[in-house]
Amino acid sequence: MTVLKAELTRLAKGMLADPVPGAPPVDLTVAPSQVEDAAAILRFASTVGLRVLFWGGGTHQGIGNAVAPDVVMTTHGLDRIVDWQAEDLTIVVEAGVTVSALEAQLQQRGQTAVLPETPAGATVGGVAAAGLSGWRRLRYGPTRDRVLEVVLATGDGRAVTGGGRLVKNVTGYDLPRLATGSLGSLGLIARLCLKLWPLAAHQGMVHVSDPEAALRTAYRPLAVIETNEGSIVYLAGTLAELEAQAERLGGRLASGHRWPEPLAGPWEFVLRVPAGATGRFVDEIRRNGWAFQAAHGVGEVRLVVDSGDDERLAGLREEAETLGGTLVVFNSPARGVLDPWGAAPGSADLQRRVKAAFDPVGIANPGILPGGI
Amino acid sequence: MEPSLGPTQAQLDSCVTCGLCLPHCPTFRLTGDEAASPRGRLMAMGAITQGTIAPDEVYAGMLSFCLQCRACEAACPSFVPFGQMMEGARARLAEVRPTTTGRVRRLLVGKLLNMKWLLALVTSGVGLVQRVGIMRLLPRRMRLARGLRRQRVFPHSAVGVHDLAPAVPAGSVALLAGCVMDQWFPAVHDATRGVLSMGGFKVDSPETQRCCGALAAHEGAERDAARMAERNVAAFQGYDYIVSDAAGCSAHLKDYGHWVEGGESVATRTRDITEFVAELIDSGQLPEVKGNGDEVAIHDPCHLRHAQRIFDAPRKIVRAAGYTPVEIDPDGLCCGAAGLYMVYEPDTAEALGEAKREQVESAGPTTVVSANPGCEIQLRAHLGRGYRVLHPIELYWEALNR
Amino acid sequence: MALVDDLRSTLGSDRVHSHPLELLVYDKDAGVTRGEAVAVVLPETTQEVAACVRIAASHGVPVVARGAGTGLAGGSVPAEPALLVVLTRLNEIWEIDEYARTAWVGAGVLNLDLSRATEHLGLHYAPDPSSQAACTVGGNVGTNAGGPHCLAEGTTVAHILGVEFVTSDGDVVMLGSKAPDPPGLDLRGVVVGSEGTLGIVTKVLVKLTENPPAVRTLLLTFDSIQAAAATVSGVIAAGIVPAALEMMDQPMVVAVEGFIGAGLPVEAAAVLLAELVGLEEGVVAEASVVERIANEAGATSVRVAADDAERAVLWKARKNAFGAVAQAAPDYYLHDTVVPRTKLAEVMTEIYEIGRRNNIQMLNVFHAGDGNLHPLVAYDAREPGMSEKVRAAAEEMVRVSVAAGGSLTGEHGVGLEKRELMGLVFEPIDLDAQARLREAFDPHGRMNPGKVLPTGARCFDFDLAGKKEVSP
Ligand SMILES: Cc1cc2nc3c(=O)[nH]c(=O)nc-3n(C[C@H](O)[C@H](O)[C@H](O)COP(=O)(O)OP(=O)(O)OC[C@H]3O[C@@H](n4cnc5c(N)ncnc54)[C@H](O)[C@@H]3O)c2cc1C
Ligand code: SF4
Ligand code: SF4
Repeated sequence: MTVLKAELTRLAKGMLADPVPGAPPVDLTVAPSQVEDAAAILRFASTVGLRVLFWGGGTHQGIGNAVAPDVVMTTHGLDRIVDWQAEDLTIVVEAGVTVSALEAQLQQRGQTAVLPETPAGATVGGVAAAGLSGWRRLRYGPTRDRVLEVVLATGDGRAVTGGGRLVKNVTGYDLPRLATGSLGSLGLIARLCLKLWPLAAHQGMVHVSDPEAALRTAYRPLAVIETNEGSIVYLAGTLAELEAQAERLGGRLASGHRWPEPLAGPWEFVLRVPAGATGRFVDEIRRNGWAFQAAHGVGEVRLVVDSGDDERLAGLREEAETLGGTLVVFNSPARGVLDPWGAAPGSADLQRRVKAAFDPVGIANPGILPGGI
Repeated sequence: MEPSLGPTQAQLDSCVTCGLCLPHCPTFRLTGDEAASPRGRLMAMGAITQGTIAPDEVYAGMLSFCLQCRACEAACPSFVPFGQMMEGARARLAEVRPTTTGRVRRLLVGKLLNMKWLLALVTSGVGLVQRVGIMRLLPRRMRLARGLRRQRVFPHSAVGVHDLAPAVPAGSVALLAGCVMDQWFPAVHDATRGVLSMGGFKVDSPETQRCCGALAAHEGAERDAARMAERNVAAFQGYDYIVSDAAGCSAHLKDYGHWVEGGESVATRTRDITEFVAELIDSGQLPEVKGNGDEVAIHDPCHLRHAQRIFDAPRKIVRAAGYTPVEIDPDGLCCGAAGLYMVYEPDTAEALGEAKREQVESAGPTTVVSANPGCEIQLRAHLGRGYRVLHPIELYWEALNR
Repeated sequence: MALVDDLRSTLGSDRVHSHPLELLVYDKDAGVTRGEAVAVVLPETTQEVAACVRIAASHGVPVVARGAGTGLAGGSVPAEPALLVVLTRLNEIWEIDEYARTAWVGAGVLNLDLSRATEHLGLHYAPDPSSQAACTVGGNVGTNAGGPHCLAEGTTVAHILGVEFVTSDGDVVMLGSKAPDPPGLDLRGVVVGSEGTLGIVTKVLVKLTENPPAVRTLLLTFDSIQAAAATVSGVIAAGIVPAALEMMDQPMVVAVEGFIGAGLPVEAAAVLLAELVGLEEGVVAEASVVERIANEAGATSVRVAADDAERAVLWKARKNAFGAVAQAAPDYYLHDTVVPRTKLAEVMTEIYEIGRRNNIQMLNVFHAGDGNLHPLVAYDAREPGMSEKVRAAAEEMVRVSVAAGGSLTGEHGVGLEKRELMGLVFEPIDLDAQARLREAFDPHGRMNPGKVLPTGARCFDFDLAGKKEVSP
């Protein structure tokens, strides 16, 4: 190991970084500031079989099977906004830019990348790698629909570009979509081009008692969120539109948006079910007395539970899975109590082969995906 | 003059293989097979015309499976004259690859349909059989007989009638009596004559006219079709308008330009009864009758909607008769009658007829209008008891006499 | 032939074609290349499709999937002797879930039939290629089809939640799900737009979209292409993403008007068709902004469709545009490049210049709102030297688009016709990565070979240096 470490240290010269708080203890932490540097390290890691864990803001490291890394690669050094074509509604950013910094910049010109509203420290690359979408998904669709181009440092050390900086494009295979949600299993997402949306002139909220009815009444709300406290319809548009929508919903319009604070608890889960079944699952979660935030119309419920071996969780997971859904562990104090993913998908074989096309040796976040892929 | 049908190279070139016609083709919808699609048929015609492939029974099958409904033609943004090309292709095939069934079919439509005594005999026969009640004993290919109106045992014909002219006629009309129309649908002719007279026209049905030749043309009996057209050009000379109350016939008369010298003059004076009457209603020469607004389902005959692009007229007439028109099919797919098609491709005709029945049933109304005799027979056969199927002009005439 | 015998014993003889004439009718799509299959099959179920793939594999014959054959890139035309699997008979709508706003449909269901089937629920299937009456949902998945209304709603991939998929080995797997973000790699996203080169889609789980409460359709006319293009850029830059924003130039307007008679202004140099949807309150406001921007850019007239009937006629005109060009000449070559929307006016000017320089007849109708250009060259291939001239001009137009930061194809796909141009957009290492991805799905090269990637895309130079020598 010492010879390898020496070689790696030589390769990583200028990229060496202090250990990242919260990361598993490793011999080496690197923070490349160029895609090519990241690729070079990964190539070496592949050659000698060192496992690499990718680290963005560290806000979602609880997702997936645990990775026991030899090296941690952070995206701190990849923190530039490369090219913002405001008039074309596209932006190219490096992976380490934080979502909050990016959105703050975009807002100055009345635009948004529709990335998750919380938590503050998340990076653009991390959110893309985890395939996370924000609350506004109901209106604008998932994040993966807005990743137009990716630059990937693959597990075997190639710097590969896929997609293009265009809002519409079918030239070649859709690497951007493949990379989104790949959780580092293919390599490091180093840079991406995102499609932007203009921010609406006004924003508002309406409290409602029946979120499912509200979902049918409101036209394209940003979100319909139900929590233990009640339900809120989030709206955007012209003032006249908001007022008309509020009237139809039979509620009072409060101006601005206040998104729910992230739930914190020992065990955090995300339940994903067909949108039409959200209400039914919310009822069950409510009965169990768990804290939750449900996105109606999307089919996503975030929840926190005190104990991971609560058998009602298994029941919830089974029910979700029979409908084609999942109960995914987002954060947990202890690994190994509950499988983070649940049943492995039927396409596991194919997934394994696709991973191998980018990471043949299996050093990029190895085993993190369902089925230990 | 020799009929100038094609398919010519220029006509074949006019197809850019965009495929936009595919969903409009009933045989493609049924099979999903491009060999049964307009584009496929055109490609096949192209290969045969260019001599890349020799015509054989597969080619013959491809052609004869086509309903000649011309829905593809109406949908084609490149104006490919499919109907004409198919008629031409069938005629060419008959020349190079004569078959017995083909010959029999062409004999039937080219010669026998013009023998009035023979048709009359058949009609009497049908009338008798209907009365004795042994229709269900008919063979499969004769299923269409279930859809016939009750026939007279002593048929009469409109040929040679001259209706009394109003004092100052709005114009003169020659009524195309037709072959089966004349024998099997006398009530439709009666209504047509009544309505036109009421609209101020002098109506004749000239003695020397023949069957229009549409069925002969569809079967590739080119010479017979041309001969009939020639006779009719002469018979219809001097009339302001030539009106037909069978959409298949009016469509064919409008194609006469390709068939005979002087055919263009018939073509430009020809009107389907529905378009003619709709115009008279528009101009106030015929009245709109108040009714109770009952719903009536509209079936669009292919040769009206696709071949002649007449869509609004039957709806207007139904409204003028005091009813509410109800749509049954956004695409106007063929009901499967298609002239003799229902006799020689009974299975396809059956499938299309059933599809049409489902459409009518889910639309609701129990009265259905269709401006073509073949469709009427098919609809009647498939809808069965409980439904009234008639020509829109009959509905209107009934209302006028109420 | 043994292949045909095996197919017949599985499907029966009616649904297996091998007669030369029956093969010939399948040798082309709506594009320009021809290629013949060794046999054509019309399976009816997923299991039959899988069986056909296995039989073909056992005979070493590749497989090409075909929907309605309205593709414009030769995607469903065999590049080498292959078994053509036609999916039109998988045309059942299996389930419509009104609450989840999803539907399970067979790959052979026609795009428009799906929207018609959901109309009574106030829902529709958003991607609306101009060929929507004719093309299949499976074919749309194959090409990741776009359409006028994909500007705001996104192209096909944004509306496909899952697919039932027959792999190159003839196994059946489900990719994606009715629930959001299924765990694992998004193979669904990769399969959409893969032009039948990864496997065959037999069933599709689509997202349905609610019909908007209010719609405004504007027809704007201009006396120059540049003014129209400036309007497009201006509208996007003003923060309005209309439901659709389509442009037609004068030659195209004249051709379509001849077919539809929609009362289009045949004297204008360019027309824009803009559609705004949403709540009445918002639509009114946006329409007035669009109108203002157009007027500032020098619009000569603005017509607002009075009712649904007029709206329908305008769209019918737009959607029949391609077909109508045959009136101009017997052959056409259609481009599909995309450019950043800020570069529209600039690139259009160059494209017209290329047309003028080469003395070719060109018509334009395109999805201006997302920068997706469709210059269409009408010509007669029998004229000596014409085809070469058209191809040369085509390549020039592609190069101009790429130089402006654009790409080869926005929605029609790479297929057979653009694969050798892939090198203009991607580095060898990028193409190699795509080739590896394809290999992961289809290690034996059975699915639609010769499409999408250029010859020699898989490059072994990029393999790990010394990987084999070092043991971990
Ligand atoms: C007049 C006209 C207008 C058009 N307008 C548009 C437009 O606005 N936008 C647009 O995007 N396209 C447009 N097109 C192109 C074409 O209609 C689309 O590409 C359409 O998606 C093709 O569908 P299809 O069913 O005809 O597929 P095909 O042409 O049969 O196949 C297309 C590709 O998909 C593959 N494929 C087909 N079915 C499957 C399956 N089940 N599984 C896997 N692969 C499959 C084929 O192998 C092929 O590579 C237009 C075409 C025409 C002729
Ligand atoms: S007949 Fe017309 S619609 Fe049909 S493929 Fe040819 S050009 Fe297209
Ligand atoms: S005439 Fe009718 S059946 Fe024949 S190809 Fe055209 S649409 Fe199909």
